[in-house]
Amino acid sequence: MLDFVLNLLIFFIITAVFVKEVGLRVERHGGGATGAAGGKSAGSISIVVKADGEVIVDNRVVDVRAVRANVERLHAQKPEWGAMVTASQEAETGLLVQVIDQVRLGGVQNVSVGTSSK
Amino acid sequence: MRSRRHASHEGEDTGIDLAPMLDFVFNLLIFFLITTSFVREAGITVVRPEATTALPEQTGNILVALRPNGEIWMDRRQVDMREVRPTIERLHLERPEDTVIVIADKAAKAGLLAQVMDEIKLGGIKEVAVGATSAAGQ
Repeated sequence: MLDFVLNLLIFFIITAVFVKEVGLRVERHGGGATGAAGGKSAGSISIVVKADGEVIVDNRVVDVRAVRANVERLHAQKPEWGAMVTASQEAETGLLVQVIDQVRLGGVQNVSVGTSSK
Repeated sequence: MRSRRHASHEGEDTGIDLAPMLDFVFNLLIFFLITTSFVREAGITVVRPEATTALPEQTGNILVALRPNGEIWMDRRQVDMREVRPTIERLHLERPEDTVIVIADKAAKAGLLAQVMDEIKLGGIKEVAVGATSAAGQ
């Protein structure tokens, strides 16, 4: 009985350590209606996610799967720039996370997120 | 004499050994101490977005969940947008090294996510991550 309880204890300690949340660390920049944090003064790659699912990189409408290639190209041109993802208030989080993921795959780790009221 | 020996033998048998029970209770105590202080669960399940570059957050022990209908859940109960900041402040005081993971549903609105992230920052925790699942097979 005691052995059993001790085993249970060890088991729960181990599983509790393994249950780790995974996430994307992002910064926050002000914009639109919610302007709490100040943006950085350095330049950045601008990406806009619209409510209807359109993604705009560098003023061109692109597919979600093309975000990575575009970011890679811009990153090669301006290696010190971070990325600024501005999402519409009504845009879906799934798409936003997908875009952030693509940006990070494209080599830009410094991603900040903001919203616009459009 | 025989009956007396029998009686004394019975007397020894009826004494209860408390040591195993104490061990047991002690283990239970340790178990509950450990499980309660680990992760501040959000209390609901959400459909997480998939991301290939998602990394495990070692200190991400405070979870805030956002549902598609705009509900915010933290610490196993539904909270109002105005409650997020005081709750974060309280949890930040209890364990200052903890960071927050906002687990937003795939269909939740980005505006709500941004608003919650602002409230968390105002609550004193600067490091906020957006929850995701690692995309399978990558």
